[in-house]
Amino acid sequence: MTEHPVPELAALEGRLELSAPATPEILDLVHGMMAHLFSTHPDISERDRIRFEMSVIEILGNIVEHAYRADIDTPSGRRFDIVLGVTEERLLAHLADNGLPVALDLSGAVMPDELAESGRGLALATAALDDLSYQRIATRNLWDLLCLRDSSG
Amino acid sequence: MIDFEVQTRDDGIGVVTPQGRLNMVSARRLKEVLSELVEKGTTRIVVDMGETTFMDSSGLGALVGGLKSARQAGGDLRVARVSPAVMTVFELTNLDRVLRARESVDGAFDD
Repeated sequence: MTEHPVPELAALEGRLELSAPATPEILDLVHGMMAHLFSTHPDISERDRIRFEMSVIEILGNIVEHAYRADIDTPSGRRFDIVLGVTEERLLAHLADNGLPVALDLSGAVMPDELAESGRGLALATAALDDLSYQRIATRNLWDLLCLRDSSG
Repeated sequence: MIDFEVQTRDDGIGVVTPQGRLNMVSARRLKEVLSELVEKGTTRIVVDMGETTFMDSSGLGALVGGLKSARQAGGDLRVARVSPAVMTVFELTNLDRVLRARESVDGAFDD
C-alpha cells in the first residue's frame, strides 16, 4: 500500500498503518493511533510525545487542507496512508497522499509575522522534528518524519 | 472531539475553556466562540488551557485571531494554565511573548 517508507519503519513489527480518506474528521483517528503507540511505549518522554504528535498532525492537516482546496468542485477521492513506528532511538512517521504536488522548500519554511493567523504549520513541524523530508514520486506526495528520542529537537 | 465551556464573570471577563484537542477541526469553532464574545461586547477574554490536551498551528491561529479582535475592540485576550503540549507550540513559534502564559484564570488580568 504505502510506497517506500524508510526500511527501518517498514520492518517494524509494532508499526501502525492506516489508509483513509483525507478528511478533517479523520484527524481524531490518527490522534487515537498515536495514543495507542504511546500507551504501548510508556518510556517515550513527554517532550518527544508532544513534538511527534504535533508534527504528524501538522503534516496531515496540510494534506487534508490541500486535498480540500484541490477538490473544491469534486470533493472525495483524496486519500492518505500513514505508518507510525517506534524504535529505541527513534519515532518515525511516513505519510503518503494522492493530492496535488506541494510546492515548497522546507529549508525555507519560516514563521510568519507574530500576528498572522495561519502559515505556521510546516515551520512548526520543521522546528519540532529532527528531520522532515518531502518527495513527489509519480502521483504521490511522500512525507517522512523523524524524532530522535530525547534529542533537543 | 472538543467542547468549549464559555462563562462571563461578574467583572465582565469572558472565560473560554477548550476541553480536549485543539486541531484544525476544533480551531474553527474556537475562532467562532471568540469572535462571538467580542461582538457581544466581552472584549477581555481568558482562554483557560488547563483542559486542552493538544494544540497545533490552527489552534494557535484561532488564539491569535481572538487576540487581534479583542485588542481591536479595546480589550485583550490572555491564556492561563498552559500545559506542556501547548507551551511547546508557543515556544517553537516564538509566540510565548505575545501569548504570555498566566498561572491562573482568576489572576490573568491582574497586570
